Amino acid sequence: MLPLVLQAPERLWWLLLLPVLFWLAMPPRPRTVVWTAHLPQWVLAQKTLRRRPPRLRGLRFLLLALACVAAVLAHAGLGLRGTPGPQRLVVLLDASASMAGQGAFAAAQTKLREQFATLPESVDLTVLRCGGPLVRRYGASARTLQDLGPPGGAATADLAALAARVAGPDTVVWTLTDGQGLAPLPTVGALSLVSTAAPNGAVLAVRATDHWPLPQIELEVVVLACTTTAVTGALSLSGAVEPVPGSPLPGSPLLETTVELLPGGAMTLQRTVVRTKAGGLLTVRLAVPGDGLPGDDTWHLELPPLPAPRIAVLGEAEGGPFAAVAAEALAKEVGGEVVPAAQGQEVGLLLVDGGQAPITPGQVRALCFGSRWAGAAEPTPWLQPVVADWDRTGPLGAGLDLSGLRIACAFRETLPPGEPFLWALEAGGEKVPLAVVAGGPELASVHFAFRLQDSNLPLLPAFPQLLRRAFVRTYGAGAALKSLTEAPPAGEQDLLARAVGTERPIPPLGTDDQSLGPWLLLAGLLCLSLRAFVR
Amino acid sequence: MKSLPALPVVSPCFSAAFRAVLHEVLARGARLRGARQENQRARRSALSQSGTFVGHRPYARGDDLRGIDWSAYARSGELFVKQLEEEERRTATLLLDLSASLLVGTPPRRLFALRLAALVGGMALRHLDGLLVLAPGAGPRARVVFQGPADLDRLLAHLEDLPIAASEPRQTMELLLQRSAAGRVHWISDFADPSACEAVLAAVRRRGGHVTGWLPAIPEDAVAPKSGYVRIADPETGEHFTVAIDRLLANELQRELELLRRRQDRLFAQCGCPLLRWSVPATEVPDVAAYQELSALCSR
Repeated sequence: MLPLVLQAPERLWWLLLLPVLFWLAMPPRPRTVVWTAHLPQWVLAQKTLRRRPPRLRGLRFLLLALACVAAVLAHAGLGLRGTPGPQRLVVLLDASASMAGQGAFAAAQTKLREQFATLPESVDLTVLRCGGPLVRRYGASARTLQDLGPPGGAATADLAALAARVAGPDTVVWTLTDGQGLAPLPTVGALSLVSTAAPNGAVLAVRATDHWPLPQIELEVVVLACTTTAVTGALSLSGAVEPVPGSPLPGSPLLETTVELLPGGAMTLQRTVVRTKAGGLLTVRLAVPGDGLPGDDTWHLELPPLPAPRIAVLGEAEGGPFAAVAAEALAKEVGGEVVPAAQGQEVGLLLVDGGQAPITPGQVRALCFGSRWAGAAEPTPWLQPVVADWDRTGPLGAGLDLSGLRIACAFRETLPPGEPFLWALEAGGEKVPLAVVAGGPELASVHFAFRLQDSNLPLLPAFPQLLRRAFVRTYGAGAALKSLTEAPPAGEQDLLARAVGTERPIPPLGTDDQSLGPWLLLAGLLCLSLRAFVR
Repeated sequence: MKSLPALPVVSPCFSAAFRAVLHEVLARGARLRGARQENQRARRSALSQSGTFVGHRPYARGDDLRGIDWSAYARSGELFVKQLEEEERRTATLLLDLSASLLVGTPPRRLFALRLAALVGGMALRHLDGLLVLAPGAGPRARVVFQGPADLDRLLAHLEDLPIAASEPRQTMELLLQRSAAGRVHWISDFADPSACEAVLAAVRRRGGHVTGWLPAIPEDAVAPKSGYVRIADPETGEHFTVAIDRLLANELQRELELLRRRQDRLFAQCGCPLLRWSVPATEVPDVAAYQELSALCSR
C-alpha cells in the first residue's frame, strides 16, 4: 500500500474519491411530499413512539465521512517529514572547583535548562560532568540535570580532546566552561563560556605538629593569593583552640591576624595554639577582599579531646620501686599524675608490673610488664632471653635504641595475641615476641613478657619515650589529629588566568518524522462524538 | 437541503358547472338553518350595539365598557350593560379561513370551503336581508357586505378573488366584534388548531352571538397513511421532515387524529355551538346530489 504523505502530493488525488463515495452512500431522498394540516399530530405520534424526527442527516453523514477519512489517513501513515541534522547532543559541563565562583555553575545549569526546553524530544541527550567525579546523565535525567552535585575537584579531563573525540556527523558537542585550567579551549562543537573572573585567596594546606596529650599544636598554614596586586588578608583560627597564654611559642598569640599577601605566590604562615580539653573542630580561614571562590578559603581539622592523664599503678609487693618510678616518668612525660589504683576509679592508663592484671587485653588502656592477664596460662620462666630486634618503623620502636636491653627472666605466657614489636631469639634461631600490642586502632593495651625488676629497661634512656609512645598507642587513632579538608586542586585557584575564546552556538539539530496519526484519530473520534450528538 | 415543491394550486372554484348546480340548489328553496329564528330575533333580540334600548343585563367580564349604564350603577351600585334592539334587519355572517393549511387534500380543501361559503352565502342572500363576509388577513377585502339575491355573482367573484393569507386569532376577534358583525356566524375552517379557535368562540358567545362551525372534511382528517417513506410538510409554516411510516406510527397517528376530532367537537360543544362536518366529494366536478345534501345539512 502506498503511503499517503504530503511529500507525495500526486497520491492525494485519491482523496477525491471520498466525496463521490459519500454521495453514493447517501440514502435516496423521498420523492413524495405530503402536505398536511396535522403536522402537530405527526410530531406527537412520533414523540409517543420515542421517534424523533431526523434532522441534519446530511451533517451526520458528513461527520461520519470525515471520521472515515481521518481513519484512512491515519492508517496510511500521513505525517510530516523531519528535518535532517544531528540527532545526538553531548554536553561537556565543566564542574571543576573554579566553577563554584561567581555562581558560574548555577548560571551554566540555567543555560542548559533553557536550551533543553527548546530541544526536540527526539534528540538523544547526554550530559557529562567533567571535573571532580565524572558523572554521566542520559535521556530524561540529563534533561533535568539530575543529581549533578556541587562543583569541586580538579579539571582532570581535557575538554578540548574530549570534544574532538566525541563530535561526529550525527553528534553535536556543547562545552560549558569557565576556561579555568584549560590550555586550549575546545575548537569543536558549540562553546559557552561563563565568567568567574575575580580575586581569590586559598588555603592550600595546613600542617600540624601535635603535642598530644599536651594541648599545644603548632600549625603551618600555606596560603595563596591570586590577585593582581598585593592585598591585605585576614587569617583566622576558630573552633576548639585558644591563644597561647603569654605567647611563649613562636607565632602570633592572636587567633585572627592580618597578613600581607603577594599576588601569585604561596606563603607559609606559622601559628601556635592550644586546644581545649574537649577537643573539636579547628577552622582555619583566609579572608581576601573580593574573594570570588569562597570554597577554598577554609581548612578544617578535627582535634581529639585531651585524655585524663591519670596513671594508676599496680605492682607486686616484692617488685620494688620500678613500677612507681615508671609511672612517675610517664606522668612527667605526658603532664599527668599518678594515682593509686582503686576499684571503680576512672584513670587514663593502668600500669601493671608483675602479678595478676585484672584486665582483658585490648579492652583496657593498660601497660603491663610480665603481668598475667585474665585467662592466661600458668607462666613458665624463660631465663635470660636474648633481645633479637624491635620494630624500628612502627610507632612504638621507631628511633629508639633498645639494643642495651637485658632481661633476666621472661614469661611468654603473659603475652596475649597481638601485634609484636619486640622479639627475642630462641635457641633454634627463631624470633619469639617479647612485647605485643593487643587491641584495635582506637583502644589497645601494651604487654611486655618480663617484669621491670627482671630487666634493665627502666635504666635505658629510651624508657621514658617508650612509655610515652605506649601511652599514645593505647589511645590509638583517637589521639590522632584529622584533617577534614582536602587540598584544593592545583590550577583551580587563579580565577584571573583563564582561557578566553569566542562562544559558538549550537548548530540546528535534526528532528524525526512526525506522524499525524494520533491527531487524525483524535479528529475522527471528535467527528464521531459530534455525530452522536447531532440529531 | 432540497427545497419543498410549490404549494398545491387551487383550480377556479366557481366554474359554470358549479354555478349551475348552485342556482339549482338555491332554487329548490332550501332555507338556511336559523333563518326563521333570524326573523324573530330581528324583532326581539337585543344584541346589537345600536338600536332601541330594551333593558339591562348584569355586566360580565369581557363586555364592552362602552355599554355599561353608569346611571344605573349610580343608583344601584352594581354594573349593568345596556341592551339595544337591533334595527329591523336580518343578516348572517360568513367567517372564512384563508390560511394555507386549507390547501391540503386532493382536491384541496380550500376549493370546497369556498364552494361551501358560496352555498351558505347564496342561501343567506335569498332568505335574509344581507350577508357579511369576513376574511381575516385579506386586507381591504376582509369585510364585505352583500345584500339581496342580486349580489350572488358579486359574492362569487369576491370569494374567487380572496387570497391565501394567514391570520391571528386576535385579528379574527376584532373583525367579529365590530358593530355590524351580527347574526349567526358561519365559520368555515379546518380548525387544525382548536386551541386558537377557543378564544374566538368564547368572545362571540360572550356577546350572545351564535356560531356554526363548518369543517370541509377530507379523507386525510380521518384516515392516517399506512406506509411509505415520505416528507411530511406543513403548508402554513413550511416546516417538514422525513419519516418512514410503519404500522406502529400509522396506528399512533390514527389515534392522534381521533383525539383532534374529539377536541374540535368538545370545543364547539362547550360553547353551545354546532360543528358540522361536510365530507367533501372526491372530485372537483360538482354533483347536484352532493350539494343538495349539503343544503339539507344547512337547513337542519
